[in-house]
Amino acid sequence: MFAKKSLYSILLIFILLVAGCSSKEKTNSESDSDSDSDGNIELVVWTFGSTGYEKFLDEYKKIKPNVTIRFQNADLADHHNNLFTAISAGSGAPDIAMIEAGYIDQYREAEDKFENLYDLGAKDIQSNYLDWTWANAESADKSFLFGIPTDIGPTVMYYRTDVFEEAGLPTDPEEVHALTSTWDDFRKVANQVKEKTGKPMTDNVNLIYYSIRDQSPETYFNREDELIIDNSPYIKNAYDYSIQLINDGVVGKISMWTPEWGTAMNDGSFGVMLAPSWMQNVIKGNAPDAAGKWSITHLPEGAGNWGGSYLGIPSQTKHADEAYAFVSWLLSPENQLKSFTEEGLFPSTPSVYSNPAFTNFSDEYFSGVNTAKLFSEAAEQVKSAYTGPGYAIANTEIGTALENVNTEGKDPEKEWKDALDRITRQLERR
Amino acid sequence: MPEIQTKNNTTKVLKMPYFTERKKESLTGYLYISPFFILFTIFSIFPIFFSFYLAFHRWNGLGEMQYVGWRNFKLILDDPMFWKSISNTFIMALMGTLPQLIVAFLLAYALNSSIVRFKNFFRISIFMPNVTSIVAVAIVFGTIYTNSETGIMNVVLSYFNISPINWGSNEWGLKVAISTMVFWRWVGYNTIIYLAGMQSIPNELYEAAKIDGASLWQQIRYITLPLMKPVIIFTVFVSTIGSLQLFTEPLVFLGRTMREEGITMVLYLYREAFMNNAFGTASASAVILFFIIIIISVINLLVANRLGK
Repeated sequence: MFAKKSLYSILLIFILLVAGCSSKEKTNSESDSDSDSDGNIELVVWTFGSTGYEKFLDEYKKIKPNVTIRFQNADLADHHNNLFTAISAGSGAPDIAMIEAGYIDQYREAEDKFENLYDLGAKDIQSNYLDWTWANAESADKSFLFGIPTDIGPTVMYYRTDVFEEAGLPTDPEEVHALTSTWDDFRKVANQVKEKTGKPMTDNVNLIYYSIRDQSPETYFNREDELIIDNSPYIKNAYDYSIQLINDGVVGKISMWTPEWGTAMNDGSFGVMLAPSWMQNVIKGNAPDAAGKWSITHLPEGAGNWGGSYLGIPSQTKHADEAYAFVSWLLSPENQLKSFTEEGLFPSTPSVYSNPAFTNFSDEYFSGVNTAKLFSEAAEQVKSAYTGPGYAIANTEIGTALENVNTEGKDPEKEWKDALDRITRQLERR
Repeated sequence: MPEIQTKNNTTKVLKMPYFTERKKESLTGYLYISPFFILFTIFSIFPIFFSFYLAFHRWNGLGEMQYVGWRNFKLILDDPMFWKSISNTFIMALMGTLPQLIVAFLLAYALNSSIVRFKNFFRISIFMPNVTSIVAVAIVFGTIYTNSETGIMNVVLSYFNISPINWGSNEWGLKVAISTMVFWRWVGYNTIIYLAGMQSIPNELYEAAKIDGASLWQQIRYITLPLMKPVIIFTVFVSTIGSLQLFTEPLVFLGRTMREEGITMVLYLYREAFMNNAFGTASASAVILFFIIIIISVINLLVANRLGK
């Protein structure tokens, strides 16, 4: 009796499972066949943060009256979680998805889940875009393109003019850059700031490390996805330099994205912030009282890139060609210029950089520095570095090691080894 | 033996019209309860079995699953971080639960006594933390426990001549911060449960004790505590299981760094699955967590039964 009963219940569970799965597939095909007999098409676009892309809809309606675009916006982490789930489940993904540079790596092993934009004609527009940002959306063998770059984040040095003045240093961007043209010089200036003002040179250790990491031609992995930081000099060099500054006592202990980080920006409790172009909105938002006290110049030894996004087309779409048409139109140089002037998205198309509407863009908040020109100069210095699917893991663990040295005073060499051990442990599981 | 009876009926009615009154009635019954069971199957039973299945596979969420046998379990049991997460969970469970239950008991006793006025006001305010959003709580506690010397907690400590603590990375600082969050959020819940239990204790017992000259402590010791035993067992049970699943508070407090000082068991498996895309090892750690919870529950039950007698 009991055997029979359990048999029935297992059968019931099975039937329900099958029913559950099949009904899902059905709704999927229903929702996707959204072009009606008149050839009207609806494209769903998932974005995160404030892109301002909604403003382009009316204009696109004039060009392609039969295409309706629907934007769905979420915050960065939720957006990428939802996208990963939808793509993994094979159902529910949008026609066009925005992917942040740090998240694109996880899809490298899943070329079948995305449309190859090279097949849709992306080769023709490649010359409009910066080589290095384009290369980051390519597969390792450069035959597959996941997305078209939307914006970039060239890194620069934001500095407090009042802190520099107090330390007896010049405040003019040109002069400051001349003074900090190498990382060794930067260290000297950092020590001078600490000596004269008692304030740390930087907010925390992460941003120093990130800046040097992003200047390197290779980071944690080679193109075969092997962990190379044990024999490649670049990451270890960035690590060691950060440790040097910690030992000098010129590194602050204010964690990023905390309320006191914002307060410190406003009060000027540290000298410089080595950060990408999009950080200007963060500074302005956090430090409304510091207008005119922040200025910008180039990083020592060239720029790097941190952040930026891509628009990709998941292969679940039924309208790949229409989606590609919209993406290539939306991210054309002319439209990126509009995104820059209205939303501050820094263009990934270098032809914009010489446009008068772009070059005349200066910012009173940042002591009247011609920000557009400065960022574009930085953007053209960036070297492309391969990231790889394990990038986030490696980055988090090295960050933890640096944090341990900075705030807990632990031994840097032991922390480096421990971090390496944690990275290899996590990598072998994927 | 109701099962046997229904079975006999179905074999008999085969020759009769298919929908007898009796059958219709039971069908309606099943239909009424089916929404729960369908949702329960899809969102609970299927994932449970699927994670057992996944625990023996290697899967990054996008590619093909690959059978790897016990490899995932070996990887996890080999990982010092996993053991760290278990010890963290137990330490924080103890630090969050024990003081919380004692304080809740005392608060409930105070609320139940006739001295306190505005009882409803206090009841509501004590329960309030439990209905606030955990994320908001974690952010507020995040500003209290900041690394900077001007953070609230570090300023308080400076009055006692204790040097500032890096709450975000210090081994015990992090645990204290997270446990206080748990304490603050759940103390009201347990107070209300204790209060309900205390209100069911007849007043005559206290009156008789007072006449006999029992002190306040004697009243608690010999009347309240023994009569509250089932309620206390219940709260201990629920709090232990709850604190084994500690997740949101450390997640929001730690951010995405998942530092080893504050990582809990559930956080560990979350990191595996949703940050590292290693769904195989994540499921394997879920399975291990499942057995740990079973063991703890059984111990809890045995102790509770022993005490209940």
